[in-house]
Amino acid sequence: MFRTYSVLRNLHRQSRNLLNVQNERLATSLTSSYKSHVSIDKVYPNSNPDFLRKQSESPKVSSLEKFEGYIPIDQLEIATSKSSGPGGQHVNKVNSKVEMRFHLESADWIPAWIKPRLLEQEHGRVTKEGYLVVRSDMTRKQMLNQADCLNKLRNMIYKASELPKEPTAEEVELKEKRMAKAKDGILKSKRSRSLIKQNRSSPEF
Amino acid sequence: MLNGDGNMSSKVTERALNLIKSMPRVALNNIKPLPHTAFKKKTDRRGDRKKKGRGDKGQGARGTWDPLGYEGRQNPLIDTSPRERYYAQYAVRRQYPPVSLLDLQRLIDLNRVNTSRPVDITSICNTGLFKFDISKNHFGVNLTDEGCDQFAAKINAEVQWTSELVIAAIEKNGGTITTRYYDPQSLAALYDPLAFFKKGHPIPKCKLPPQDALLYYSDPNNRGYLADPEKVLEAREKLAQKYGYKLPDLEGDPFKEMLLMRKDPLQIFFGLEPGWIVNLRDKSVLKPKDDDYLRYYHSAQ
Repeated sequence: MFRTYSVLRNLHRQSRNLLNVQNERLATSLTSSYKSHVSIDKVYPNSNPDFLRKQSESPKVSSLEKFEGYIPIDQLEIATSKSSGPGGQHVNKVNSKVEMRFHLESADWIPAWIKPRLLEQEHGRVTKEGYLVVRSDMTRKQMLNQADCLNKLRNMIYKASELPKEPTAEEVELKEKRMAKAKDGILKSKRSRSLIKQNRSSPEF
Repeated sequence: MLNGDGNMSSKVTERALNLIKSMPRVALNNIKPLPHTAFKKKTDRRGDRKKKGRGDKGQGARGTWDPLGYEGRQNPLIDTSPRERYYAQYAVRRQYPPVSLLDLQRLIDLNRVNTSRPVDITSICNTGLFKFDISKNHFGVNLTDEGCDQFAAKINAEVQWTSELVIAAIEKNGGTITTRYYDPQSLAALYDPLAFFKKGHPIPKCKLPPQDALLYYSDPNNRGYLADPEKVLEAREKLAQKYGYKLPDLEGDPFKEMLLMRKDPLQIFFGLEPGWIVNLRDKSVLKPKDDDYLRYYHSAQ
């Protein structure tokens, strides 16, 4: 009975191999001919189907007036270690904590005017050598912790780049109107109070 | 007694015929009416009286009963516990049984799956380790993120459901992933292609997703097969920035063509068109030539 079973299994495997295309040349023609009415090149005629092509080199870093959110990953030093907290064997053995550091002053991807503000706001995270350090062991997965580090870093830089907002002409007008109204109310109550006080004394002739 | 073709007739028929001969003529004194046509005498006259059998006054007489389950002003039993719709629309809801990235990595490491070809639901079924059942509303595979840190294979994956972390894990290693919808008829062919080809039916054309799934499969963030390739490119870069990896440069890569391989939205097998019949015994493929057939198998309707 076992022999019959192994024979059947071999037959099954052979038939599966028949379906597996071994020839390289045939493989490249697998995608070629069939195009239906709803093929992607017909639905999106202006789109280049090659989404694996290389885009232009770091386009966002060129304009250093404003931080756009782009962080060059290869300019960061990323280290992994074991996380803290409960978790048994998993937390003891797996490197899920991520530490990200870079030299703040020599980072060319952060606009220059943001750097001193960032240094001031995050002085606790900057080492003596001038390295900004961001750590995360929030989740069980290293990838998610790395994403968390980047998120934190981005938020820090955005916060440091926040400028105090000038009030618009509309806002100024509105504020003046409200102040005037409040002032009128105060004066009205003062006048009525004054009358009451005057009425308590005897009139002067 | 002989019948028409010269054989002896049976005893039963003989006896029956003799009976009919000896019976009296049908007359009024030897027939009776059918049961349902007989005049039904109403013997029970209880309900015919003044109160029609409803008694004195009250809800019984006036037909103003409380609703079923009402318990005076007390909270009725049916309202004492909350409604939990665990099985609401269970027969209609689509299910995607999970296969983790860890499972997939193990399959690749043990050579159960060929990574030099696109890895789709058929490749997973052919390993024999994962079974899917159409009768249980299994609409394909859900690739989960367990083992995303250990995943280190460069593959062209085609699944039916996945999450952002899985997409990041696969693209980080230089691979591609697509989410793709298959209708149950196509799935029957995909789960066991060998059994399907043995039946000799023409390869079905895959239907477009239902309304509630169309948005998911048209979204570039899910790498849907109906999404705009330009937007997929942008989404890849955004994800790389979010998860902190550099997208590998595949310019001179020999695998690039394989990674870009995609089935047409109506196609279910690579290299085979809908409408073709695969003859395994003669090792041939039968293709329709009629214009009507070709029009049918090239259109979505």
